Amino acid sequence: MSDCDSAGRRQVQGDIAALAGTIERLAGDLAIGEEPSNFAAVLEAAAPRE
Amino acid sequence: MSDLTLTALAAAIAAGKVSAVEATQACLDRVSRLDSRLRAFITLDADAALGRARALDADLAAGRRRGPLHGVPLAYKDLCRVRGLPTSCGTRTAEYFTSPTECTAVTRLTAAGAVTLGKLNMSELALGPFGDNPHHGNVDNPWKAGHVSGGSSSGSGAAVAAGLALGALGSDTGGSIRLPAACCGIVGIKPTYGRVSRAGVMPLSWSLDHLGPMARTVRDAALMLQVIAGPDPLDATSSPRPAGALVAALDGSPAGLRVAVPENYYLDGVTADVGAAVEAAARVLAGLGVGVHALRLPDPAAATDVANILARSESAAIHARVLRERPHELGAAVRSRLEVGLHVSAHDYLQAGRLRARLTREFVAEVFAEVDAVLAPAIPEPAPPLAAVTAGPADEIVRRMGRFSRLTRPFNVLGLPVVALPCGVAADGRPLGLQIVGRPFDEATILRLAHAYEQATDWHQRRPPA
Repeated sequence: MSDCDSAGRRQVQGDIAALAGTIERLAGDLAIGEEPSNFAAVLEAAAPRE
Repeated sequence: MSDLTLTALAAAIAAGKVSAVEATQACLDRVSRLDSRLRAFITLDADAALGRARALDADLAAGRRRGPLHGVPLAYKDLCRVRGLPTSCGTRTAEYFTSPTECTAVTRLTAAGAVTLGKLNMSELALGPFGDNPHHGNVDNPWKAGHVSGGSSSGSGAAVAAGLALGALGSDTGGSIRLPAACCGIVGIKPTYGRVSRAGVMPLSWSLDHLGPMARTVRDAALMLQVIAGPDPLDATSSPRPAGALVAALDGSPAGLRVAVPENYYLDGVTADVGAAVEAAARVLAGLGVGVHALRLPDPAAATDVANILARSESAAIHARVLRERPHELGAAVRSRLEVGLHVSAHDYLQAGRLRARLTREFVAEVFAEVDAVLAPAIPEPAPPLAAVTAGPADEIVRRMGRFSRLTRPFNVLGLPVVALPCGVAADGRPLGLQIVGRPFDEATILRLAHAYEQATDWHQRRPPA
């Protein structure tokens, strides 16, 4: 691995750490009942009636 | 024949004016003439395509029309499993991805009568928006040599724009259908999440991957979508909703529909010609009786952060075995990007998934209470020179990637349907692209708007220099 690759990887890892902080802040007020699979239900519920 | 649209060619074949063999040979001739520069194909299956075309001509002579695509030559991004052909996924390994079943969308297109020309070039493992590939060559922009073709479905964009195929399949995890469609001046549809089966397609991110059509006109892309959409027991995320009559819906008037031009984010920092083209598109729609409203959209920053966590974590998990056992099969840049995902914690991944549901609920409630669709540019600038965006340190290149796909990525997280279509050209002829974003599973409305806009303009009739 070159120094350039290594520096790039450290930078991106730093970005991931920052992202994790942002996600934690945004998720702070999620309701207990909010789960990932709700996503599909949201799409289906918002679909036009056939 | 290269000027015919997919729909016009299908009609000409059905009427006996053109044979499937003539149509296939015309595409193969253009590949011979143009693909040494474009590098759109990874695998060209000329003999099998001509054999299939001869069989289809015999069928038609005997009164058997297989379906609406009878005799139409198509090609597929090289992450779709196609019976009898290797699937490199843009890596240097010919058989990188295998699947017990063929790509469902390819099977459906074949059943509708399509001819398979071959497999199309792409960014390695579908990671990257510029169309460069260290193993199969960089896909060139048909409109301007040396410029970005858009990625990751780069070969799909270039092949359709240059008339090497009448239509193609692409996949879109953060913009990979819409970016090459915009850069190459064609139409691409990222359907609603769950609308099109992803069975038999290499996954990059289960949460964000979408498969969709790319073609020259809205009608062509709608026809392909109508064929490939609908439930599939081989894909657990596939929606039970039927495809619906998308082509028939195109000809309804758009008058009375309401569209939003975003007040925030989507027009910030775009080049003047891009901003002007979107504003002009809004005026065209207004002239057709569409209500155009300025609207502040929910901040897409959160959606982008969620996308980054989900995509990095899932892509690292999917390709972990290759990273561990055969890292030499991947280019250094892709390897480095995948490895970063190994550092995302399970906690952050799950929180991102929970946030995604809330962000989608909020966007749908806030935006679609006011309008039926949202207009936005697809690319922030006309296709830039490839050498310029792929130069410099790795972290800078990754940042450029993020900036170039910043207008498309939020809609993968939200799962909403989007059609990208040409909406102008830069001073030197490079295409500009418009996104029309709709309600979940309401492809019919965005395609109606797109078709009406297309018919009121002539961007779709322009062709790249021969």
